[in-house]
Amino acid sequence: MSEAQTIIQKPDRFDNPFEPEGLKDAQVARLLSVAPFKAMDPNRFPKRTSLPDILKHDTRIRMFGKGELIVRAGDYGTSAFMVLSGSVRVVLQPGLASSVLGRRETRKVGWFSAFAQLWSNEKHPEVRTPDQLKQDSRVAARQAGKQVKVFLQDVPRVLDDHRTAEMKAGEFFGELAALSRSPRSATVFAETDGTEMVEVRWQGLRDLMKYDERLQKHIDETYRERALATHLREISYFNHLTPEQLMIVMSETDFATYGDYEWSKGATAAKPQETVIASEGDYPNGVVLIRSGFARLSNKFGNGQRTLNYLGAGRDYGFAEIAHNWSHKDKPVTLQHSLSVIGYTHVIVIPTRVMEQVVLPTLPQHLIPVIEQEAIARGDVETAASMDAGARIGPDVMEFLTEHRYFNGSATMLIDLERCTRCDDCVRACAATHDNNPRFLRSGPTNGRIMVANACMHCADPVCMIGCPTGAIHRESFAGQVTINQATCIGCTTCANQCPYDAIRMVDVRDEEGSFIVDEAMRPIIKATKCDLCVEQYGGPACERACPHSALVRMNMNNLDAFARWLRR
Amino acid sequence: MSSLTHRRWFGAVLLLAAVVALFVIWREFDPLIPRMPFLTGWALLLIMLFLTAYNGRKKLPFLPGIRSETWLQVHIYVGFFTAALFGIHISMRMPTGWFECTLAWLYVLVMLSGIGGLLLSRIFPKRLTTRGGEVLFESIPAVRRSLADQAEALALKALPDAKSTTITDFYTEHLHEYFAGPRNFIAHLFEVSSPLNDLLHRIGELNRFLNEEERKLMDQIAKLVRQKDALDYHYSLQLTLTLWLFVHIPLSYSLLLFSIVHVILVFAFAGGTS
Repeated sequence: MSEAQTIIQKPDRFDNPFEPEGLKDAQVARLLSVAPFKAMDPNRFPKRTSLPDILKHDTRIRMFGKGELIVRAGDYGTSAFMVLSGSVRVVLQPGLASSVLGRRETRKVGWFSAFAQLWSNEKHPEVRTPDQLKQDSRVAARQAGKQVKVFLQDVPRVLDDHRTAEMKAGEFFGELAALSRSPRSATVFAETDGTEMVEVRWQGLRDLMKYDERLQKHIDETYRERALATHLREISYFNHLTPEQLMIVMSETDFATYGDYEWSKGATAAKPQETVIASEGDYPNGVVLIRSGFARLSNKFGNGQRTLNYLGAGRDYGFAEIAHNWSHKDKPVTLQHSLSVIGYTHVIVIPTRVMEQVVLPTLPQHLIPVIEQEAIARGDVETAASMDAGARIGPDVMEFLTEHRYFNGSATMLIDLERCTRCDDCVRACAATHDNNPRFLRSGPTNGRIMVANACMHCADPVCMIGCPTGAIHRESFAGQVTINQATCIGCTTCANQCPYDAIRMVDVRDEEGSFIVDEAMRPIIKATKCDLCVEQYGGPACERACPHSALVRMNMNNLDAFARWLRR
Repeated sequence: MSSLTHRRWFGAVLLLAAVVALFVIWREFDPLIPRMPFLTGWALLLIMLFLTAYNGRKKLPFLPGIRSETWLQVHIYVGFFTAALFGIHISMRMPTGWFECTLAWLYVLVMLSGIGGLLLSRIFPKRLTTRGGEVLFESIPAVRRSLADQAEALALKALPDAKSTTITDFYTEHLHEYFAGPRNFIAHLFEVSSPLNDLLHRIGELNRFLNEEERKLMDQIAKLVRQKDALDYHYSLQLTLTLWLFVHIPLSYSLLLFSIVHVILVFAFAGGTS
């Protein structure tokens, strides 16, 4: 008689462990013997994702030297850290200078300098001046095997000049940025040589939270403490709450992350996998506030779903229905639309009970929305139409946008081919403002009369910024454009490989004489380049301003209403 | 009404109002201002300098200021306005003398090339988009070469496969030249498809003399012929969209130059006028 076998389906991600070979058994055993993993109950974890399996596949142990930067404020990341041994310091506000973090403060060019570009632009392609390549001496990058490590050169001075806080063994940091795909809020560096850190990737962190109440509680409390109040204050209908009422709302709020952070891999190949957050016709359990990522608002249409709009960070869902039910108790309605995830979505959920008992009573009558079905019955279809950008854009274009994940772009270059005379004024303008180096290609995927040109879209979820070892690719502090500091870019191609839209190009740079710049081993120096949205120019993107036929526009694709208006202009 | 239509109506109404106002002023003040042609002449010269400055603006895209789109709109409507001003300047009569005639003809040619360019820039992009197969103008020679190589390879493949020279002979006689460079330039401009139809008809005729294998090869060649036709279509329209500026701009500078000489001559021979 054959022996019965139990087959356990392990998650796909275990095929690609965080550490190439996975942690060794001794390392897993060591982690299981230290806090907080020691206190976790392995019996609460399912067999397919046991605690040792999570530690083996979703964590890695990293060594840091004295002064080495672990995370930088403003960077995006998909992992959290825990101090295993040694000591690390968090730099409190106001934080380190941007040049220390590998970035460059952008200065607008003056009128004369702008005019001087007429004769001062370089004759040779991709010239970098010594000034452009000058680095801050307070920080230095060192090659360590295949990795590049960045060190603060004078740790005592940093400690003297900045307020810092020490983090000790067993403490987590970076978990909020990893779980909510938001920028890191502070810079952390190793204070002592041989500091050991456990790095947990987001998938592992999510599972650890799921099966360990203490970690879940800790992260929830940290989230409520550091971020939630700010998030809620950004929504108009929470502005009427007293501090005490806000505390009640915060204590009752849930948060969740749906989908997959790795959505960008193969972005243009397969259709996105969609997880449904809430379905049309269901009872509204709470108001869903989208904090990051993207969700699709849709309605049933035949046997499928018709997309009405995309909701990005800052948008909400379910408020109208809950408010309607509260003000019209005799005529309750169910959810009018479905909400599903494209890629990933991090949401905050305020339960209906809290909305009804705490939030809605504080709102003036004019802020209580009328449900669209009633508006339609009255003939006031304006509200419904404003939500339904999909109808104005058309299913074909909507499918095109979804398939290529263009809703990620905050400054997507769109060209209306029915107005574009192919004059290339846009390309010439781009070249003229970038030392004769055009930073985009006037070609790209097309759908009908719409072309999405091959230019950086300055994504809402900038996956190119994940993993830059020197912090060279960063968001501008004022307007949020994604730019690359040529001085600290080491040409590692991480950003170019990560970009799902192929909008970053690697180039061999030259000096002012036109000779290639080389390193000590006579290898050409490579830098990443891309559209910077003319961040240094007063007038904004030169491509858009140079188009004589209003054919080219830089569009925030997270706002489909604006896109629909542009299509029907 | 869409915003572009709204803009068009706004511009047209403003232009009409400006032209009407100009004629009213001319009728009212012409008898009172004896040097009216001087006044309208200077106005024309200044407007022409302004219109020519648009080309300069294109050379300075990095300067903050008015967007090219707005410049072009103003350029178009002010350009139309000059027609009325020009008519008043020449007192609605045909000019006399070779210099004045040349000047007037230059003006007419600049105006016509401008209107032509405007029409081209509104009609051709739509036609290119409807046709599909978007291609960068600079890439056209490379794409053409690739199509020619593919067609030649298919034709040569027929020799060992079918042991017959029917396809290669046809290729040499009719298709080699066709794939070698841009063809049917004028036909494409006027959307005449008879050259393509003729060629496809010849291919259809040839099919009667081919075996099954050869027909398959010929079908593939016919597909390439259609692709080459689409490429030529893009070449013709995109080249025309570029070339009209090479007519309009030199004519505009010539007009400006002649106008300056005209001003000098007018003042040189202005003694005695009141």
